[in-house]
Amino acid sequence: MKELFVNMGQISILKDTGILTTIGLGSCVGVTLYDSRTKVGAMAHVFLAASRKNRDLNALPGKYADTAIPALIELCKKRGARTERLVAKIAGGAHLFPNLPTTTLSVGQQNITAVKEHLALVKIPITGIDVAGNHGRKMRFYIETGIVVITAIGKESKEI
Amino acid sequence: MDAKLDFLQELGNIGAGHATTALSHLLNGQRFDLIIPEALMLPFQEVGTFIGGHEQVVAGIYIEMSGDAVGHMAFLLPLESAVNLVNLLTGEERSELDEMGLSALQEVGNIMIASYLNALSDLTGLLLMPSVPGVAIDMAGAVWQSILAGAQVADTITLIKAQFSTNSIAIEGNIIFLPNEDDFQKIARILGLEDF
Repeated sequence: MKELFVNMGQISILKDTGILTTIGLGSCVGVTLYDSRTKVGAMAHVFLAASRKNRDLNALPGKYADTAIPALIELCKKRGARTERLVAKIAGGAHLFPNLPTTTLSVGQQNITAVKEHLALVKIPITGIDVAGNHGRKMRFYIETGIVVITAIGKESKEI
Repeated sequence: MDAKLDFLQELGNIGAGHATTALSHLLNGQRFDLIIPEALMLPFQEVGTFIGGHEQVVAGIYIEMSGDAVGHMAFLLPLESAVNLVNLLTGEERSELDEMGLSALQEVGNIMIASYLNALSDLTGLLLMPSVPGVAIDMAGAVWQSILAGAQVADTITLIKAQFSTNSIAIEGNIIFLPNEDDFQKIARILGLEDF
């Protein structure tokens, strides 16, 4: 089966079959959108919450939550999905350095909040979620079924 | 561009040299080989996969640098190396890192990074202060990605990587310095170099 790897800041899409995978989600948040009718599924690997047009002119749309969600939706629509049928699953947003009291504390949490907000704006329901905590995650999205499997070091894998 | 990278590589050479010397002192004179540090400019798309072995378990120590210049430093090593390092330091035989082991590792990382920054401070006269070190044991990709997010990297990332290893015991690792773009212009000027 075709497996596509989605690196930091990227967005990828598949239709009917295959797996979209992102490895090494720390504070990043993986977001999947799925239309079960047309079996269109897309994944973004979101790095930070809000785009910084003054500092990051050529950023990939998938890099920031505020640009990633609209870009994901557009891509899904182009492949035949309908916005009102899309459902989202999200994973990541961890805080890997729990003893650090400084700015990094909030990166994961900010990402989770921003992704949720931008999904709520376009009324896309979140049907699966595995976020926060202190551990990294791997996310695999099976296009045929819409199932997302989360694995982490020393933990049982789980379906969301 | 080459001049900038040469300059950064030299900073890396000095910093990492001091860091491995500090490590050697901690470990009763155990010798470490420093592979010539590399200074690199990478596009965002490449930096995430730059350390490789995404699912390999690593130990990562992370420090934010503040003071007269801002930057981020990371000390990354495979889990097995981290265990060997802690065993050598404590004279005990652990097979994994317990709380004591983690604490020891954090301290080693702290001393190495502080030595790196001290060397740069001595060179430039700038006050460079390390934060409390954060420590994580996890997938390499997740650790590295969290560090990059902490540094809020933009399109192009400049970094200095120094790799060290030792022959007698399997210990190897990387010290990575992510300087803030504006601040190393300041450092360059202090050292009498033209603007890049």
